[in-house]
Amino acid sequence: MHVPDGLLPASVCIAGYATTGALTWYALYTIQRQDDPQAGIPRASLLTAAFFVASWIHIPVPPTSVHLMLSGLLGVLLGYYAMPAILIGLFLQAIMFQHGGLTTLGVNATIFGVPALLAGAVFRLRRGQTSRILTGVCGFVAGAGGVALAVLIFYSVLITTIPLTINVDQERVAITALALAHIPLMVLEGLFTMLVVLFLQRVRPELLDGPARYVPPVLVSASESYES
Amino acid sequence: MGQHGMCRRYWCQRQSPMNLDIETYAYGHSALHRWEPRCKLVGLLALMVAFAFVRSPWLLPVMLVVALAIYRLARLPLLFLLARLRLPGLFVLFLVMSAPFLIGHTVVVAVGPLALRQEGLMFVGVFSTRFVAILTAGVVLFSTAPLAASINAACSLGVPVVLTEMTLLTYRYLHELGRDLHTMQRAMGQRGFRASRLRVRTLSHLAALTGSLLVRSFERSERVYQAMRLRGYGVRQPGASNLPVGWRDALALVVALVIAAGLVAVDLRLRA
Repeated sequence: MHVPDGLLPASVCIAGYATTGALTWYALYTIQRQDDPQAGIPRASLLTAAFFVASWIHIPVPPTSVHLMLSGLLGVLLGYYAMPAILIGLFLQAIMFQHGGLTTLGVNATIFGVPALLAGAVFRLRRGQTSRILTGVCGFVAGAGGVALAVLIFYSVLITTIPLTINVDQERVAITALALAHIPLMVLEGLFTMLVVLFLQRVRPELLDGPARYVPPVLVSASESYES
Repeated sequence: MGQHGMCRRYWCQRQSPMNLDIETYAYGHSALHRWEPRCKLVGLLALMVAFAFVRSPWLLPVMLVVALAIYRLARLPLLFLLARLRLPGLFVLFLVMSAPFLIGHTVVVAVGPLALRQEGLMFVGVFSTRFVAILTAGVVLFSTAPLAASINAACSLGVPVVLTEMTLLTYRYLHELGRDLHTMQRAMGQRGFRASRLRVRTLSHLAALTGSLLVRSFERSERVYQAMRLRGYGVRQPGASNLPVGWRDALALVVALVIAAGLVAVDLRLRA
C-alpha cells in the first residue's frame, strides 16, 4: 500500500512532505522535552529495524500469503518515536527495495504515521492497567484501527489526485471492492497485534511502556550505587 | 572495475538470500561517485521533484534521456537498474494494466466489454515514464556513495540529528536482525512448524516469533546504548564532517538545477 514515484503530481508530493514535516517536528519536539531524549534513540532505532524485518514475516492466507503493515503495533511500542521510525523505515524501503518512493515519501509517511500515532494514543488509554482482556482489546483496536485509517487515507489521496475522467460507476465498484478486500486484513492485523501485545505483556511488559519511559537496568543500578 | 566485472559481482550477490546491500557500487570512480554528497543530494532531489512535476507528453522523452544520461554517467550496470525497476511489483503493474480501461471517455479500441481509452493510455505513459525517471535518479543518488556519507550530507543540510542517528543505527542493525529472523524461522521449521494454513494457532506462533524478535532487539538496544554511552554518546554532539565543495561540484549542481528549472518552466509553458 505504498504510493509509488510518479503517480502523484508534484504539488501533492510537496503537501505530503509538509504534513510529514509538521508531524515529525511535533514528535521530535515532544521527544526533546523528555528527561533524557537520547536514551530512547538506540532503543527506537533497533525496534525500527526489528519492525522492518518483522514486515517480511508472511501470514498464510491460502492460496497466497500476506505481510502485515504493523503500523498499529509500531505506535503501541514506540509512542512518539513512531513518526521518525516510520519515516526512516519508508526511506530505507524506498532506497533498498524501491517500495514507495523518494518523492512520495512524505505522502506515504503520513498514510502510515497518522494511524500509528493514533494507535499509540488508543493503547495508552489503558493507563498501565495489566488486565489481559483490556490489553488484548486495546491491542486489537490499535492494530485493526491502524489498517482502517491507513486504507482510508491511502484511497482518499488516490481518489482526489488521480484524473477525474475516471468512470464514476466503475470507480464506485472498484473502491467498494478494494474497501471490502481490506476488511479481512484489518481483522487479521488486529488479531495479530493483540497476540503480539499479549505475548510481550507476558515476556517483557516494560516494552509496552514505550522506549522513552524505560531506563536500562544496569544504568539504574550504577547510578544508585553512585548515589549510595 | 569494468562493467563486466561489476555485472558478475552483482549477479553473485543476488544469489544471497538476505541481500540488502545498496552499497555494492558505492565506491566507484565515476563523476557521480566523485560529486560532493551535499551538492549531489540537492541536485538530484531537485531533478526528481522536477520529474514529478512534468505532465506534458512532449517532455517525457527528454526526462527519460536526462535520467538515463545520469545513470550512464554513474557507470552502474544496467542489470542493477533493471532489477530495481522490477522490485516495486504488483501495485505498479495493477495500475499500468487497469488504468487504460478505467480512465477516460475517448475509446480507442473496444473488444467486447473492454474498451481501451485514450486518456487512460496517456495517464499510463506519463506515470510510467515519471516512475522510471525518478527511480533511476534515486538509484544513482543512493548507490554512488555510502549511505553514511549521504546521511551525513543530509545532516549538514539541516535534517535533525535524531533522524540521522536513528537512520544510521536502523540501517546498521537491519542485517543482524534479518539474520536473527532467518535463524528463528529455521529453528521453528526444524521443530515441525509449517505456516501453510491460516489458523489461530499458526497466527499465535507467528505473533510469538514477532514478539521474540522485538524482545531480542530491545535487549540488544540496552547493550548498544550502554556501549555508546561509554564511548561518549550524549556528551559530545556529533558534528557533520564535510569535504570542501570544489568548483566542479558547484558547476554540476548549477547544471542540475538549471535542467530541473528548465523542465518545470517548459512544462508550464506547454500546459498553458
